[in-house]
Amino acid sequence: MTDKSNTQSLEDQKLKEAYFTASQGQLIWQRFKKNKSALIGAWTLIILILSGIFAPFLTPYDATIAGRDKDYLNGAPQIPRFCDDNGCSARPFIYTFERTRSIKTNFRWVTEVKTGLEDRRYVTFFSKGMEYKFAGMTFERHLFGVDKGMIHIFGTDSTGKDIYSRTLSAINTSMAVGTIGVFIAFVMALIIGGIAGYYGGWIDSILQMITDTVRTIPSIPLFMALAAFIPDVWSAEMRFFFISMVLGFIGWPTLARRIRTHLLTERNQEYVLAAQLCGAPPKHVIRRHLLPSFTSYIIVDLVISFPYMVLSETALSFIGLGLKDPVNSLGVMLQNVTSADVLLNYQWYFIPVIFFIVLVLAFVFVGDGLRDAADPYSDSKK
Amino acid sequence: MLQFSKFVFVRASLAILTLVLVSFIVFSLMELVPGDCAERYLAFKNSQGSIISLADIETERVRLGLDQPYLKRWGLWIVNAFQGEFGDSCIQRLNISQLLGQKFWLSLGICLSSLVLAYAIAIPVGIISATSNNAVLNNSLRLVSYMGLALPNFLLALMIMLFSTVMFGNSLTGLFSKEFRDAAWSYDRVIDFLGHAWLPIFILGWSATAFAIQTVRALMSDEIGKLYVTAASARGVSGRRLLMRYPARHALSPIINSLGFDLNRIFNELPVVALILTLTEAGSLLIEALARSNDQQLAGAIIFMLTGSIVAINFITDIILALTDPRVRRSIVG
Repeated sequence: MTDKSNTQSLEDQKLKEAYFTASQGQLIWQRFKKNKSALIGAWTLIILILSGIFAPFLTPYDATIAGRDKDYLNGAPQIPRFCDDNGCSARPFIYTFERTRSIKTNFRWVTEVKTGLEDRRYVTFFSKGMEYKFAGMTFERHLFGVDKGMIHIFGTDSTGKDIYSRTLSAINTSMAVGTIGVFIAFVMALIIGGIAGYYGGWIDSILQMITDTVRTIPSIPLFMALAAFIPDVWSAEMRFFFISMVLGFIGWPTLARRIRTHLLTERNQEYVLAAQLCGAPPKHVIRRHLLPSFTSYIIVDLVISFPYMVLSETALSFIGLGLKDPVNSLGVMLQNVTSADVLLNYQWYFIPVIFFIVLVLAFVFVGDGLRDAADPYSDSKK
Repeated sequence: MLQFSKFVFVRASLAILTLVLVSFIVFSLMELVPGDCAERYLAFKNSQGSIISLADIETERVRLGLDQPYLKRWGLWIVNAFQGEFGDSCIQRLNISQLLGQKFWLSLGICLSSLVLAYAIAIPVGIISATSNNAVLNNSLRLVSYMGLALPNFLLALMIMLFSTVMFGNSLTGLFSKEFRDAAWSYDRVIDFLGHAWLPIFILGWSATAFAIQTVRALMSDEIGKLYVTAASARGVSGRRLLMRYPARHALSPIINSLGFDLNRIFNELPVVALILTLTEAGSLLIEALARSNDQQLAGAIIFMLTGSIVAINFITDIILALTDPRVRRSIVG
């Protein structure tokens, strides 16, 4: 009896010890793991990011105009199948089609699918296709393709570009814009919030005043005004960097405010006084002592502000003021969905929207999960 | 009373100071943009067929006062801006306050209505979800809030438009029917306007509602756990009376405080929604007049007015808070 309770308390103690000696990162991970929706979000996010990075391999065609299929404009998605009236096949296949346009079809392309056995196009895996560069090397193998013609599992747009290929590369671009934007916002917030929080007093008041002012200006209208003046001669890449930079310059105030608040409470702690008495300069104290004290909060804030960057970019590109062809982003892909023609006839244009929603939701779930995990008071509430 | 007027005075001067800062930021950004008003106007004339020279640009610059030093022009701009006078538009050569006038007030009205709609839904729903232990209700509300963020409002607008085109043959765009577009305000026009305005109000309110529900819920569940609520219920106050008189009152002040930023968020979404619903009378003026024609005078005026209305809301909410909550009055002045 006593033996049993002894071992139990020993185990308890071990658990407690593990709890008290665990680093902050381990504690956060422990709590994060328990949150189902956050975990699902994290996996979705990883899959999406990886598919964005490996887009050239995962997609059969180039996302730019070079990869267009001029015989299949505004084409419906071709879904590979295994079986039809002519029997089954171990390899998935799609059908050959013939497109006609005449006065009879109201000058609209009408696709006539041939379902004969000889008209099957078999899907091939690890097939050779267009060359692409990845990590400095040139490859030509793609995950899948077809033996004759081309395959478009999400359909094509009005110029014949493969929507599946575009969607995956768009994820990449949107993530890149978000990353650059968040990074710039983060550096600015660190500098401004750090100075305001560390020195306090009148410096803090002035910086707070500026931060609040920037916060009151509605960012999208302001950004629209700026983006409208981008010279037409700028290349797509320059536009891309400019837009990410502006997103960053607009996004810093919220983060700066949080950093300042943390610093204001932390700077009166004893360990800061100790460091100062040892003669450490302010830069050293901020960098080595104060910032590490709330790294986890900063990471959480960054994750939370990420979807807003992606959303802003999408809204801008959607209006036509953000990124433009040949750069692919989710917003660029949504530019043409507004016309009634698309709404009524080409609904597959909306497939990227699903990816967009999933991406934003995944970020929100992960951000919420991280915030709950990093918040020391979250246990007491539940 | 003296304390209160002092509070109002401090707040008002802070608001004006903010506006001056805003005007400086906006004005500088508009200056940084390559090309100035004179060049733009003459480039426009050039495209219309008249031949212009460098000397023409210089005379135009002098005429517009663009040869004056930067700070002086900013000073002139801000003084005029406070009187609601923004000069002439770069390209259209029309007085900006005339050009914006009614359109701006219509847009502001739509945005404020969606803000009201958002909180009219969010406050009761948020309070209910914070107090109830119903897991299904809470989870579905959480999902709705997430969708409010992730489902972009332009998509929502598109869906509704598609639905109404297919079902009723009417695409629900614009703010007025054709016959009322340039008519003077009359009873019929107001009715026509309301018949069109509900859609943008609903769409703009959609994500605002989702945000507001989350805020209200978080604030309420924070307050409900506090000791004064327990004390009140120990005294025998219960049910709705307990909620309304104790935690809800406390939870409300941060919400009132953040109204200005909610308006900011709605302004951010206005251009996109306006573009889809082709609200030429309202927000898409921003896109039409500013983005496509590169009109920096007009752009500056619009952004200044939008920010000005946010600052005004912030000021009003500060005053309301100070009226209802003595702690606020003391904290700022004392």
